[in-house]
Amino acid sequence: MLDWLDSFLVSGLFDVVMIIGLALLLHLQLGLTRIANFGIVGFWGLGMYVFGVLYVRVDWAFGDPWQFIVCAALAALAAGVAGLIVGWLIADLNTDGVLVATLGFAAAVQILATTEDDLTGGARGLGGLRIPFDVGKVKEDEFAWLLALTSVVVLIFLYAWRVHRSPYGRLLIATGSNEALARSLGKSTFRTKLWMFAVTSGAMGLLGAMSGAMVRYLDVGNIGIGVTLAAMVGLVLGGTVRVWGAVVGVLLTVGLFDIVVQIYLPLPREWYTQTIPVLREVIFGATLIIVLVFRPLGLLGDMRRDKLMGKIHGK
Amino acid sequence: MDFIAQSIVIGLVEQAPLVLAAIGFALIYRLSGLINVAYSETLTLGAYFAMWLSTTFALDFYAVLVPAAILSGLLSVATYLLIFRPAKRRNVGTLEMIIISFGLSIFLRHGLQFIFGYRLHFFDVPAPDTVWVLGVGVTSFRLLAFATVVILSLLLYLFIQRSRYGLQVRALASDEQLAQVSGIRPLVVTVMIWFIAGVAGGLAGAFLGVGSSVGPLLGWREFLFIMLVVLVGMRWGLGGVILVGVGAGIALTAMALTFDQVLYADLVLIIAFIALLKWRGTRLTEAAKV
Repeated sequence: MLDWLDSFLVSGLFDVVMIIGLALLLHLQLGLTRIANFGIVGFWGLGMYVFGVLYVRVDWAFGDPWQFIVCAALAALAAGVAGLIVGWLIADLNTDGVLVATLGFAAAVQILATTEDDLTGGARGLGGLRIPFDVGKVKEDEFAWLLALTSVVVLIFLYAWRVHRSPYGRLLIATGSNEALARSLGKSTFRTKLWMFAVTSGAMGLLGAMSGAMVRYLDVGNIGIGVTLAAMVGLVLGGTVRVWGAVVGVLLTVGLFDIVVQIYLPLPREWYTQTIPVLREVIFGATLIIVLVFRPLGLLGDMRRDKLMGKIHGK
Repeated sequence: MDFIAQSIVIGLVEQAPLVLAAIGFALIYRLSGLINVAYSETLTLGAYFAMWLSTTFALDFYAVLVPAAILSGLLSVATYLLIFRPAKRRNVGTLEMIIISFGLSIFLRHGLQFIFGYRLHFFDVPAPDTVWVLGVGVTSFRLLAFATVVILSLLLYLFIQRSRYGLQVRALASDEQLAQVSGIRPLVVTVMIWFIAGVAGGLAGAFLGVGSSVGPLLGWREFLFIMLVVLVGMRWGLGGVILVGVGAGIALTAMALTFDQVLYADLVLIIAFIALLKWRGTRLTEAAKV
C-alpha cells in the first residue's frame, strides 16, 4: 500500500515531528516563562524508560492497545511528578541554578538508566517494546504510528497557540518578562511556573513513551544531550517567543539534516556513520551562536502583540 | 582507618584536576557573571593539545604541559574576543549568553573531531611511577596534578587578594563603570582572566587525559561537577570553591568506595548540591556583564 514511501523517510519524519513537539513544549518554558530547561532529554528519557520498564517487565492482564495506553499514561505521570519536583527546586532560582538543576536531573536519569540494569537493562539495553497495533507490514505500522504522534504534536501546538491568547498565557509572559512586577500585582508566579513546568514535563514524558514504542529497543545512548540540543536549536532559530518558531526552526534544522541531507543527497556511504552526525552537531552549535548574536528573536521575530504595539507606539 | 586514608588520598589526587578546572571556571564566573558551558571544551582541548604535542613531537608528558596550557589559554581568549565580547556589545541577555556558550560547547566538541579524528586517543608516554602515600598507591602524574593545584591555588589566591591586578579584577567584578572611571582598562583585565582560566582548564584536561583516554566528551563528563562546586563554593570566594571542591572530591571517593555502583556517588552528590542550592537560594541579580 505504501510502496512509494521510503522506510528511512518514515523514521526521519518521526524524529522531526518528535523534536517539533519537544520544541513547542520548550517554547512554553523558555520562550514565554524564561525557564531555560537544559534537561529536556531527562524528562523525555524518563518517560521513555518508565514506559519501557512497565511495558516489558510488568505482567499486564490486558494487551495492546490498553497496555500501551496505561504504560504511556503512567510514564507521562512520572515525568510530570519529576517536573513538579524539579520545578519546585528551580522556580525561585536564577538562570544559573536552573541550568545546573535541569542538567543535573538529566544526568540523574542517565545514571539510573545505567545502574538499575535489573529493570532497564543498563548498558545492554531493553528490548521487547512495540507499536501497539498491527496494520500489516512494519512500514505501515510505523507510518500509522507517525500519524498518531503527529496528532499528539498538533494537540500540543493548539494548546500552545491557545495559551498565547488566554489570561494564563499573559500571566506566563508577565512572569517571564518581569517576575517581580507580576508578583507585586498579586500573581503567584511560583505556582504558575511550577504547574506550567510540571505539565510540560509530563508531555515530554508522553513523547518519550511514544518514541520508545517506535525505537523498540531502549539504549542509554538514546538519552544524550543531542535531544536537548535539537529542540533548543530549532526553537532558537525559528524564534523562542513564537509558536510557529518551533515548527519552522525544527524543519529548517532537524528536517533539513535528518531528511534532506541523510536521505536525498548523494553523499559517500562512509560519511553517514561519523561525518554527517558530527557535521550536524557542529552546524547546530554554530546556528545557536550566530542566531543569538545577530538575531536573538529568531527568524520569525517578536510576538504579534509586541509587533502591533511597536507599530502603534514606536519601538 | 584504611577507609578514611583511602578516601582522603584518592579523593585529593583524583579530583585535583577538577578543583583546578573549578578555579578557572570560577574566575570567569566571578568577573563576568557568565556560566560558560564551553569551558568544558577548554578541558577537552587541553587534553587534545597535550596528547597531540606528546605524540607528534615524541615529548615527555611534563614537557607538553606548559605549551598545552598556553594553547588552551589562547583558545579561551579567542572565544571571549570572537564570541562573548561581540555578544555583550550587542546587549545579549544572561540567558541567551548561556545558550550561546552551550552552542559553542557543542561546536567545539564536535568540530575538534574533524581535526583530531573520531577515535579515542591515548598519550604515548611511559607508565608513570607509583608512589605510596598513607598506604595508597598514587601515580606520579596524579601527584604532579595535586602539587600543581596546591601551588596554582595559592598563587591565584594571592594574585586576586594581594596584587594590583587582583584588585582591578575585583573592582571590575563589582562595578564595571566605576572601575573604568578609576582608570582600570576592562579589556586588559578581562583578557587576562580568560587566559588564566584557559590555562587552568587546559592543565586540568591534560591531567585528566593522561590518566585515561582523550575523547570529545572528556570535559563535558566533568562539567556538572565543576559547575556545582563553583555555584556552591563561590559564596565564600575563591577559597570557598577550593574547599568545596576538595570536600566534594573526598566525599565522592568515600561514597564510590562504599557503594556497589560508582555512579551512585555521582547521583548522591548531584542531589545534595542541588538541594544545597535550593536551601541557600540563589536568587541573585542577573549580572550579564561578561
